[in-house]
Amino acid sequence: MANLKEVRNRITSVTSTMQITSAMKMVSAAKLRRAQDAIVQMRPYANKLKDILSNLSSSVDASEGGSYTTQREPGNVLIVMITSNRGLAGAFNTNVIKATNHLISSKYSNQFKAGKVKFMSVGKKASDFINRNKYPLYSNENTVFDSLNFENVSAIAQKVMDAYSSKEFDRVELVYNAFRNAAVQIPTVEQYLPVLPPEQSDSKAAKSIDYIFAPSKEEIITELIPKSLKIQIYKAVLDSHAAEHGARMTAMNKATDNARDLIKELKLSYNKARQAAITNEILEIVGGAEALEG
Amino acid sequence: MHLEIITPDKKIFEDEVSSVVLPGIDGSFGILKQHAPMISALKKGKVKVVDMSSARHQFEINGGVVEVLNNKVIVLAE
Repeated sequence: MANLKEVRNRITSVTSTMQITSAMKMVSAAKLRRAQDAIVQMRPYANKLKDILSNLSSSVDASEGGSYTTQREPGNVLIVMITSNRGLAGAFNTNVIKATNHLISSKYSNQFKAGKVKFMSVGKKASDFINRNKYPLYSNENTVFDSLNFENVSAIAQKVMDAYSSKEFDRVELVYNAFRNAAVQIPTVEQYLPVLPPEQSDSKAAKSIDYIFAPSKEEIITELIPKSLKIQIYKAVLDSHAAEHGARMTAMNKATDNARDLIKELKLSYNKARQAAITNEILEIVGGAEALEG
Repeated sequence: MHLEIITPDKKIFEDEVSSVVLPGIDGSFGILKQHAPMISALKKGKVKVVDMSSARHQFEINGGVVEVLNNKVIVLAE
């Protein structure tokens, strides 16, 4: 039978753990609501912009689209990993790492072996992973979560786009968790640059539309493509941010439930031990009294 | 024709309309039913909408882009 004092100490420590996890759950729930609003309202804009852009690039020659739409052979590859700054969010960061590992072991295995794959980390957990494996780090953008707004994120986008136009990289991939709902995150790998041509399905093949452009095709493209690329990264970061809080909320909810179960068990064994101690004491007294009478 | 006005924050208008006037970079222009496919950049100014019951609506935008395709008008405003 477990020592009474030992069990009591464990009950105290599990209770305080439970207080922490349930507080973290509450904090995440509040943050999730804000992050969710941001991404849900952002999405239609991003999707429409993407639609317009893919319609646009289908009616534009590669030479006109500027450097961003030109398809090059993937020589040098940049992988942008978007994770969180903190852990305790279930499989949230592991999913991004898994997707990245898959990417460098299948699609870009040749480039990776030749040392032509570099990594950009958004979030501390990504840079931890890169440092731990001694992968080549291109840049580290962990501070973006300190104040998450469009300016900061578009600065990252600008950096990536500049590196791409100067042919430092021929291919840029985004790896992040897309936010479905509070409990579901979808690990997503997305080709960021060059801009993908729209899928050539039958319905879309017929849709090579002859647009009127005002003021001119070139001006619209030079304005629209960078805008949409910035929006795309912004969307990915917001997605990941909302997904992070969703994942943490779920993880902390489970942790709180587990702690509650554990406390129940511990209380039961504490009471058993207490009962046993009392029974023992009574037996001793009764035994002693009988011995005196005897 | 169907009009949607979307900003990064939210969708501010979605309905069937009879006409819309937009602040194009080279000056305002109107769009009616059966307009040819078009993509245009917009500058800061007012979007004027006349809906099916002839009621007028006005929205301020800070520039953006508009796509017209198959009687669907999508304004991506800022």
